Amino acid sequence: MAAYVLTQAGAKVLMLEAGGWYDTAKDSKMLEWDYQAPHRGAVKPNTTFGYFDAAVGGWQIPGEPYTHAPGTDWNWFRSRMLGGRTNHWGRISLRFGPYDFKPYSRDGKGFDWPITYDDLAPYYDKAEELIGVFGADNHIENAPDGKFLPPPKPRCYEFLIQKSCQKLHIPCIPSRLSIITQPHHGRPACHYCSQCGRSCATSSNFSSPTVLLPPAMATGNLDIICNAMVREVLTGPDGRATGVSYIDKKTRKEVQARGKIVVLAASNCETSRLLLNSSSAQHPNGLANSSGAVGRYLMDTVGADGTVGFFPVLMDLPPHNDDGVGGMHLYMPWWNYGKQFKNQLPFARGYHIEFGGGRHMPGVGELGGSERYLGGGYGPELKQGCRKLYGAFVGFSSRGEMIPNDESYCEVDKNVVDEWGIPVLKFHFKWTEDEILQARHARETFREIIETAGGEVVQTYGARQNWGISRGGEIIHEVGTARMGSERSTSALNPYCQAWDCKNLFITDAAPFVSNADKNPTLTILALAWRTSEHIVDQVKKHNI
Amino acid sequence: MSEKGNGKLGGAIKRRDMLKVFSAVPAVLVPFGTALAAEQKTSGSAAAAQTASAYQRKVFSGHEWETIKVLSDLIIPADERSRSASQAGVPAFIDDWLNFKGGKLKAEILGGLTWLDLECNREFSHDFVSCTSTQQKKMLDRIAYPDKAVPGDSNYVAFFNYLRDLVVGGFYSSEEGVKDLPYLGNKVVPVWEGCPPDVLSQIEQNLKTKRVGLSLASDQESTQS
Repeated sequence: MAAYVLTQAGAKVLMLEAGGWYDTAKDSKMLEWDYQAPHRGAVKPNTTFGYFDAAVGGWQIPGEPYTHAPGTDWNWFRSRMLGGRTNHWGRISLRFGPYDFKPYSRDGKGFDWPITYDDLAPYYDKAEELIGVFGADNHIENAPDGKFLPPPKPRCYEFLIQKSCQKLHIPCIPSRLSIITQPHHGRPACHYCSQCGRSCATSSNFSSPTVLLPPAMATGNLDIICNAMVREVLTGPDGRATGVSYIDKKTRKEVQARGKIVVLAASNCETSRLLLNSSSAQHPNGLANSSGAVGRYLMDTVGADGTVGFFPVLMDLPPHNDDGVGGMHLYMPWWNYGKQFKNQLPFARGYHIEFGGGRHMPGVGELGGSERYLGGGYGPELKQGCRKLYGAFVGFSSRGEMIPNDESYCEVDKNVVDEWGIPVLKFHFKWTEDEILQARHARETFREIIETAGGEVVQTYGARQNWGISRGGEIIHEVGTARMGSERSTSALNPYCQAWDCKNLFITDAAPFVSNADKNPTLTILALAWRTSEHIVDQVKKHNI
Repeated sequence: MSEKGNGKLGGAIKRRDMLKVFSAVPAVLVPFGTALAAEQKTSGSAAAAQTASAYQRKVFSGHEWETIKVLSDLIIPADERSRSASQAGVPAFIDDWLNFKGGKLKAEILGGLTWLDLECNREFSHDFVSCTSTQQKKMLDRIAYPDKAVPGDSNYVAFFNYLRDLVVGGFYSSEEGVKDLPYLGNKVVPVWEGCPPDVLSQIEQNLKTKRVGLSLASDQESTQS
């Protein structure tokens, strides 16, 4: 996004990417069949995704380790490719709401952002209009409506779940995904193959190489160098940034790139790693870190996945295509702000619910455990029974807010370097009762929704498994670690994501985040980056940096 | 020196490039029969080309392979809609999967096959594959119904559950099985029409007959502004 805004304004921009080039039109594996891949496409090595998922990288990258403090379970997903995780993400594009920018003012927990929803609203507008997001105006508390393309009609099983939610007074409204349901700025509309995770060969969903980089490159102002592993930001005697030092992955030699302004958007943990590895006489504690805030207040989304319902009313339906877009057409935004404000719930922050199932692409585990429904058997009866069962299952997931805590942070491991010679990160992470009880509430809510629709919970998690709360980093929404603030003593960046200690250094990924709402971070990253980039242009014009 | 990236990106895609992408897709599926024959001719997928002789066994001995083949076809036989599990490549899938996963599952299946031959020899003086069809079914009936099996057979009921899951999952994720269900997706849909009315009415009917206390009929407009 920074490259997009800055090049349009006439800036000459050099983009350094740690991974390789990625061309969705050429590299996308959408419309392939799992049976064409090894082991029925069950898994892509190093990921928890299927074989054809677009990710290049995963939980472990050979030669690029990370470490943990004892007792920490942190899982770090890195995509080493142009455009990073924007190539294969879920496209869920939810605005943070007014409460999410001032959580501390609301309930005394966590911290306030130095900006308000109103400060960012114009940039949410611009980002949505540029990338194309579908949705509907629903006037839900703390889930602001946006500039929407028409949403796709619900799937058959989604109607059933929606009715159940309505009976329970849980809002179930069109989802908001950055998938275009009509042609948008020259990109063709979605063709509903539901394979967004494989990246889209027709650019019908948002990824930065298909939406942001082409117009940036068209200005003639953008150079991109791939396979460049940046190791530190270089600073001069006056403490200003002068450029970066990177390792050319092919030659393993250092290259230094000079620039008047440095913008970091390496993904929040990598950005903070860069800052901490950029010590100098002027910045003895790492760059932008006189406050000690860099690395601190690491957050991920609270996830509760894998509650599955079996719905007899969905058995043996006339065959139909349940694919649609690559994600849910309906979702349930948090509905208990009132109760929480009155302290009627034992946890302080909420979650939204996603769900999916029905007649999905059959995979290796298809119709497993059939003996539970069909009584066992084999032969013609089993075959007919399987056909009836197919499509009768729906799974539920929650995605909720984590309150930043002092025990969740990353730091540089002083004993380990990666294969490029760069000190690696060491993670500390824990959930508090607020997060664990939120997961419990989600499990209870899933059960209510399933049973109200005449279904049976066939898989879920209980107290002994901590309600199946996700492991740290597992939801792949890590934010924070170089937070913005209104005071330099407690934050790394000012309200424009400009480093207090180094005024020609900016951050445009999720490192500046002060809270992690129950909304997926990407849309807020885009809006914030746009605002920060416009500020850079403004400041350059005024000769302030 | 790192190469500069000046390659094409997806955003520059033109209509003829789109057609190139879409022409790689099999023709829109027509239910069953004709589509099945056409797909097998034109798709060239690994599953269609695979035969037992082309596949290199990784886990099963020749005898275990033959036993799995017979078991697979007893579990998922051919019928008017699709062929049998072995014809859809399930033995090769299971062999490969056990090699891929190893561990407890591999032990479970190999152990179960060992036991099956043992029991058949004790009762019928033949390995499972050499028993008559009636004898084979008698053996399977003992372990295929969890609620009816004797407690002493519980380990082998568990084995058969694992085996059934492998055959069912292997069949229904195969090209043949995908069409059997049928799964009608993974294709280009120019206009998304939502849920077909006949499916909605069937769900509504099911809600009534199963007395769920919900109706799809009311209040659908409230979801859209």
